[in-house]
Amino acid sequence: MTSETAQENPCLPGGLIALDQWKTPETSVQKTLRSGLRDILQQLRAGMTPEDQAFESLDDLPALSHAKLGRYAPQPEAGELAGAINECLASLRQGCTHNRQVSFVVAPPFSGIQGALRASGLRVISPPDNLLMAEKDIPGWWDEQLAGDDWVVPELADFWLRHRSGMGLLKEFFARVAMEGAGKGMVGCSSWCWQFWVQYLPELHVAPLTVAPLTDDRLTRWLAFLASGKAGGPLTARMTNDGLYVLPAPEEGCERKYSDFARDLATMARGNRGVAHAVWQRTLRARAEEDTENGDKEEKKDIPANGPSCWVAPLEQLSLPAVPQSNGRQPGHILHALLLHNGLTSEQLQLVTGLPGQEISLSLARFQRADLVTQGDTVGAFRVTPLGYPAVRKYLQSRGYPVDGF
Amino acid sequence: MGDLDIKGALSSITSEALLEAAILVVIASLLIIVVQKLVPAVAGKLSGKPRLYLLASVPLLRLLIIILTITMVVPVLVEPSFENMVAIFGALGLALGFAFKDYANSLIAGIVTLYEMPYRPGDWIEVNGQYGEVRSIGTRAAEIVTLDDTVIVIPHGLLWNTLLANSNDGTDNLMCVAEVYLDPNHDVACMQLLFRDTIYACPLTKTHQPVIVAVSAGDTGMKYRLKAYPLEPRDQTRFISDLTARAAEICAAEGVRMISRPLMLH
Repeated sequence: MTSETAQENPCLPGGLIALDQWKTPETSVQKTLRSGLRDILQQLRAGMTPEDQAFESLDDLPALSHAKLGRYAPQPEAGELAGAINECLASLRQGCTHNRQVSFVVAPPFSGIQGALRASGLRVISPPDNLLMAEKDIPGWWDEQLAGDDWVVPELADFWLRHRSGMGLLKEFFARVAMEGAGKGMVGCSSWCWQFWVQYLPELHVAPLTVAPLTDDRLTRWLAFLASGKAGGPLTARMTNDGLYVLPAPEEGCERKYSDFARDLATMARGNRGVAHAVWQRTLRARAEEDTENGDKEEKKDIPANGPSCWVAPLEQLSLPAVPQSNGRQPGHILHALLLHNGLTSEQLQLVTGLPGQEISLSLARFQRADLVTQGDTVGAFRVTPLGYPAVRKYLQSRGYPVDGF
Repeated sequence: MGDLDIKGALSSITSEALLEAAILVVIASLLIIVVQKLVPAVAGKLSGKPRLYLLASVPLLRLLIIILTITMVVPVLVEPSFENMVAIFGALGLALGFAFKDYANSLIAGIVTLYEMPYRPGDWIEVNGQYGEVRSIGTRAAEIVTLDDTVIVIPHGLLWNTLLANSNDGTDNLMCVAEVYLDPNHDVACMQLLFRDTIYACPLTKTHQPVIVAVSAGDTGMKYRLKAYPLEPRDQTRFISDLTARAAEICAAEGVRMISRPLMLH
């Protein structure tokens, strides 16, 4: 839908595209086969080897200090992403390719859409405290929320529970959107939640948009852009094993030899910004003789004249979190529910999965030890981590759970 | 028999040849046992399609080993000339035809099973009122394990003249039906919607497959059939139980009385 030009916003490479245009970054047949075989071997090995599922780096090079990591691979700015989304939407409206009153942006978890929409400056509609609201109260609640100026729902997955009494809010909302009776607004929606609702309401057609997948060149440009803000110059990143370049982004006429790292990372993350960023942070290494965790004080003065630089560990030298083996259905139910709802508290998990509280606590503790799930500070909701997400998605898919299309 | 010259064909068999053939048969048997034990054990650790493909490969591997063994053993025992082959297989055909008719019938049906694949390991089938998962396909018979963990041996020969129902036909999609009977005189459309919601709310439901709530009126009241697919065929008992419990919960909440179906004597 948007053509990739030099003028595109660097914090949203590829811009917004129609949902049905999204496809996973391409990879070679050899790598697909290798990955499939590795998955099968992992399933077979599970239960035979001791539980070592948490994130682990298999090389012995020093990791970057926190301060340097914050400069070389900082978290994307929500405000900038909000601006880029608005620009894309305006351009799509101008080109008459998107003319809906309510714009849906469906994206896989960790894409940053929720934060961006929250920072968009529009009136934010927050979910009610009681998601099991009585049917008769729902129309009145939406009347109140949708009245007035333009609004934004940062994450639609926060407005429902997979329970027979917890789906009323979204049923009413979708009915209003379909009838163009919801005013003008923007909706962010997790791809997992979306997948469920398009199956529940097969006649739902709201022309959703999504962020373009990060292919290798987009990913390189994006990582270079993130580093450019705080690193104090264009970041140079080279592979620790063969010295090939990852950053800066290739330019026409440049004679540097580039590694396949970006392509492998894009494939591993399935084009997901948040996952790619989390893995990227874990691959960055300092030089052996350089400062490490203790050397933060020296950092201000050690930006070299030809720009900052660091090393990148190959993906094969990272051991990402794996889902602990279990014969029961409990782990799958819990992980699937967490993704469907973009995070849940322990009490909500009991309601949604129908599992007893003790079983849920045991599983959650196991997932936390394996770096698959983390608990938020504010409401105590449990969420899947970006590093654990690829393993969780594969696990759910292999056990027959409906997974998102991303 | 004189024309077939079976005596002549077998005259060249020596004790060394017999020993060699016996060793080959023992090795093949051991190989078959290993395949039959190891592959299902590995498949048991997997789920989804890889599990089904691995299970389905067991009878094919066994057939391959048997054919290879025959092609290796026969030349060891007799000189592989045209006359000798006709003599040996002719005699074998007669023996099978008269003495082991039913056994041969099942053996041939077993080979047809591998070709036509009316059932594969991992399929849920019903034969003569017995329902279960095909655990293994032997040379003569298939073994199914019922939902009550009873092993039933089904000779392949039954294939020729028995109706066979296959619930998932080589896939991991198996429709389950939970039936509930309700007292008439209630809002049917409302109950259908509520039942549909409850199917979608069940964590075992494969939501990308059709979900249907069928209703019909009968002598015993309104019969609702909640049809949906569980995540995996193995989940069927738990899935039907869960749907039934959820339906009962809805009926209680809505004040619609569930009724028992009268016992039917066949």
